[in-house]
Amino acid sequence: MTTSSLPQSLITTLPGGHYTDENVFALEQARVFESMWTCVVRAADLAKPGAFKTVQVGRESVLVTRARDNSIRAFLNVCRHRGARIRTEESGEVKRAFQCPYHAWTYDLEGKLIAAPNLTKMPDIDRVEYGLVNVHVREWLGYVWVNLSDEPVPFEEEVQGQIVERLGDLGSIENYDIPNLGLARRTVYDVKSNWKLIVENFMECYHCATIHPELTEVIPEFAEGLATQLSVGHGAEFGEDVEGFTVDGSAGADRIDGVSEDQDRRYYGLTVRPLMFVNLVPDHVILHRMFPLAVDRTIVECDWLFRKDVVDSGRDLDSSIELFHRVNVQDFEACERTQLGMGSRAYAKGGVLVPSEHHIGAFHEWVLDRLGTSLA
Amino acid sequence: MIPACALAALPRGEAFRLDTVEPPIAVFHTDDGELYAVDDTCTHQDASLADGWLEGCEVECPLHASRFDLRTGEVDAPPAKLPVRTHGVVVEDGTVYVVPSDLPPNLPPGARARTA
Repeated sequence: MTTSSLPQSLITTLPGGHYTDENVFALEQARVFESMWTCVVRAADLAKPGAFKTVQVGRESVLVTRARDNSIRAFLNVCRHRGARIRTEESGEVKRAFQCPYHAWTYDLEGKLIAAPNLTKMPDIDRVEYGLVNVHVREWLGYVWVNLSDEPVPFEEEVQGQIVERLGDLGSIENYDIPNLGLARRTVYDVKSNWKLIVENFMECYHCATIHPELTEVIPEFAEGLATQLSVGHGAEFGEDVEGFTVDGSAGADRIDGVSEDQDRRYYGLTVRPLMFVNLVPDHVILHRMFPLAVDRTIVECDWLFRKDVVDSGRDLDSSIELFHRVNVQDFEACERTQLGMGSRAYAKGGVLVPSEHHIGAFHEWVLDRLGTSLA
Repeated sequence: MIPACALAALPRGEAFRLDTVEPPIAVFHTDDGELYAVDDTCTHQDASLADGWLEGCEVECPLHASRFDLRTGEVDAPPAKLPVRTHGVVVEDGTVYVVPSDLPPNLPPGARARTA
């Protein structure tokens, strides 16, 4: 199929193979996930020095921890001796060092090799050189981003640049005071879908009226099928009789202090490539982090954040949380259903995007550009 | 009496590894300001106690978390079974000196072979 044969209303998607081919996924691991800033951990989950999390970034397991000076550090989760994985749990806490369970090579919280059997008999081993391999780390909005490349693109350009592109400035997101919010709920979804389908789904609202009845009740303009992400700084307005961003339109929790009058009664959705979504409503923030594990499997961790005093009060937040939980389930079911078609010969050359989805074409071009390939 | 290091170079909470003697000796400066010297090598497996963690009058081996009482050398926590040898410490004119013990050391298998 050539583009010239398409009606003007339509542009093509990526071919189905881009969602099923192990080689494409391997290229994405190397050139997208391992080459960009990805948001992996909520900083408050690393409560004190020695607390750690292990996360999958591309092909690598990454150990994220808090050092003695309270700074956040990240290392490749691999012993420098014989390559054993240092920690296999998703999270935990060490008292003062990471020790490989195989030969007891022992690293401090800054990654330096501090002990190993007979190490003093090998004074020529440099303890920093043979320390854990450091990964670039950045903390922002109360979350930790890592970047596995040797020379990362500046965080300001790659991550904050996308926020500015969407909202017009950084102040608009900082108004929500995300670092000081409390975690009310975390749900982990194991989605049998390629990561790009999840991104593409989040980018468009053509599906909203069909699969998101509750969301469309709260935000009637979603029924028009236009994504909020289309115009800079646009927030989708709540319906007139809607009191809050809840599953039944009832009142939500207390508004976050910094939220401006312009931002009140509005929903802002942000795609932060490659693997993060942020949803802003006046009384809470819903933040998605994706961890692609295979070409057809993506773990999505979703955090619901409210004012700390709201979370600490123990008040029932179910009606607020239920709304986006349903949206998530509805979206991920759609992504899994779509994944089933990706290997079909009916989709070998891909499908089409209608005008309200045309901006997804830019996402596809962005992916191809990162992979260094084209669909010529 | 063997000079180890300047007292000023050994802040509280830190250890100095004296490796000009065989087997090497670790000198500890506790948070309370006391100085202790013991054999640097853990009696369980060849590891440097000076690289370990000092807590009160105890040092914990960085490899397998054996703990030794610095005052007596006794084992406070396994897997080590034998005590570490203790040595005298003297401070003169701002220099820390070690007065080595006459007793035989309790070295782990690997270290013993090399220093025999």
